[in-house]
Amino acid sequence: MSSLVILNVANGVVTGAFFVLMALGLSLILNLSGIINFAHGGFLALGGYIAFALSKYVGFLGALLLAPFLAAILGLAIEWTLIRRLYGRDPLYSLLLTFGLAFIFQDGTRYLWGAQGLPMAIPAFLAQPISDSLFFVTRYRLFNLAIVALIVALLFVLLRHTRFGIRIRAGTLDLETVAALGVNVRLLRSFNFGVGILLAGLGGVLAAGQFRLDPTMGDDYLMPSFIAIIVGGVGSLGGTVLGGLLIGIATGVTTVYLPSASEAVMYVMMAVVLLIRPRGLFGEEGMMS
Amino acid sequence: MKAGKPAGVLGRRSVLKAGAAIGALQVASPFIIQARGEMPVKIGLVDPLTGVYAAIARNEVVGAELAVAEINRNAGMLGRPVELLVEDSANDVGTGVQKTRKLIDRDEVNVIIGDVNSGIAQAMAGVTSEKKVLHIVSGGHTDTVTGTGCSWNVFRVCNTTTMDSNAVADLLIEKFGKKWYFLTPDYAYGHSVQAALVKRLTAAGGTYQGDLIPIGTIEYSAYLIKAKAFGPNVLIDVMGSGDQVNSLKQFVQFGLNKEMQVSGTLFELESLRAVPDEARVGWWTMEWWWDQPNVPGVKEFNAAIKQRTGAAATARNWFGYASVYTAALVANQEKTLDAVKLAHALSGFKLPPEVALQPAAPAYRAGDHELMSTVFVGEAHPPQGDPDNMFKVHSLVAGEKVASPVEETGCKLQWPA
Repeated sequence: MSSLVILNVANGVVTGAFFVLMALGLSLILNLSGIINFAHGGFLALGGYIAFALSKYVGFLGALLLAPFLAAILGLAIEWTLIRRLYGRDPLYSLLLTFGLAFIFQDGTRYLWGAQGLPMAIPAFLAQPISDSLFFVTRYRLFNLAIVALIVALLFVLLRHTRFGIRIRAGTLDLETVAALGVNVRLLRSFNFGVGILLAGLGGVLAAGQFRLDPTMGDDYLMPSFIAIIVGGVGSLGGTVLGGLLIGIATGVTTVYLPSASEAVMYVMMAVVLLIRPRGLFGEEGMMS
Repeated sequence: MKAGKPAGVLGRRSVLKAGAAIGALQVASPFIIQARGEMPVKIGLVDPLTGVYAAIARNEVVGAELAVAEINRNAGMLGRPVELLVEDSANDVGTGVQKTRKLIDRDEVNVIIGDVNSGIAQAMAGVTSEKKVLHIVSGGHTDTVTGTGCSWNVFRVCNTTTMDSNAVADLLIEKFGKKWYFLTPDYAYGHSVQAALVKRLTAAGGTYQGDLIPIGTIEYSAYLIKAKAFGPNVLIDVMGSGDQVNSLKQFVQFGLNKEMQVSGTLFELESLRAVPDEARVGWWTMEWWWDQPNVPGVKEFNAAIKQRTGAAATARNWFGYASVYTAALVANQEKTLDAVKLAHALSGFKLPPEVALQPAAPAYRAGDHELMSTVFVGEAHPPQGDPDNMFKVHSLVAGEKVASPVEETGCKLQWPA
């Protein structure tokens, strides 16, 4: 049984990687702009659909490069036309707007691509287990893990070592002061929103290769990602990464002993964390570590 | 300057002109007069148009719309046009019940059709029987709909889970062996399918293991690791819709299709379209299939659906089509919309070949109101020629042969006084 647990911890990390991508995007937008983006799952699905459409022309890998940026461009358009008007208002406004947008995304994808799922294929060389004994570790899973690790590293470099990233971090602490120092806050928020959507779009492309691609696929990742942020601590990107991985692992391990509780376990985990440390494992109010 | 009439006073000529115009309209537009006497017969369809079952639900709507168009082109229903009112249950029991009440109380529909989700269909049946409205369950499979939860006014077009299970079970035992591992969704439909398959398997001396898996699970590696460790002849994948797509994609990516067969009851054409070629594998049942070269009417039905959707007809298209026709045919036969009279007439009612669209003309069994439809058992494969040619039918199983006897279904019909 112990080897079974270890195997499922490994697979939990792979699943958790998808939650990490989603949660990082959500967290970026929430921390700087105070927007609870319920439409994030819709952007994830959109990334998958755009990749499906592009893959006929540029292949899966080409689509993996292009689709997240196209999703981000759409995200920017929505931020410019709708989201931006709600900055500084009660979060309830943005919550209602993005909740509505989530439905519009689902119906929009249904209208454009149909209600039934689509068969996203991955390159043959990735669709193989790495060995007979490790049959459940496919090259595609390792590929996903490597991509997510690379993206997390790039994001941390961006936030810690670039002027834009430092401004974003400063903005999460005190946006008014950042604005008073002459920083274009509008542009900063737009850029930040675009990065968040880019991560969702990337998650959508990767997920569509391993899981289903249909209009409701984003729902699978949205709630675990919110919980990852809460468990890791609002404001902490490192905490968000850890939260996503922990949820993936907890779900995987619970599956071994009590499959019917594999979904409930993340809520239990959130409840326990909130009881012991209400700010989450690494959370500091208004801070981005 | 000519003296005019005071403003706002109608002249004699104006009144005469208006009268003449009204008279001319009565002659020139007889349809207006006719329409007054032709209140449409309303059919309400409740299905989950949003959510995970949206694709199959929408295909039921397409089939129902085609039937309505055909009926209206011909004699209509009791000589009146048919109007289809479609409501979204959003895959939620409360919403489904609320929409059913709205259709009956406010829109005054004469017949209710739906739902894809058995739980919703069952809850809707509570409303329709209370309101004494004929109810045709188009696509909810759980046994209880025409079993322990049956009702005098409820008739079902799609098969029971037991029918589909029995149709494929014997073939699997004979062809592949008696050691099975189940991936079963943890709700009524999954439990019902597994119970029926296990009954058949254990009767044949087989063994099994399996997992009850929450709906909406995306990661199946833990279950597939356990399945491989058990070493079954067949992996029975009962997961539905997007869950089935997720589990089958991972089954193939792990290379397990080289070690064991995969099978189950339904792998609907909508789901087959949603997986890549390599995951179009395994042995399954279809409840209707578009490629039946020797069956009259199928080609025309398929072409009509293709004109509307751009793709081959699915079982769900046929469910919607047959549901509407069932109501129209029996109403025209009985010349009434009285639900009790229609329900009595439907008990044992045989679908005509042009609606049945299958080798045998199935009938609604009198004892439980289940349509004894043919089950198509076969193997999934990547497209060959036509993009929807992804299933090879190996055997046709008569519904009566695989349905539980009425006395074993638990159905006890209680008719209103």
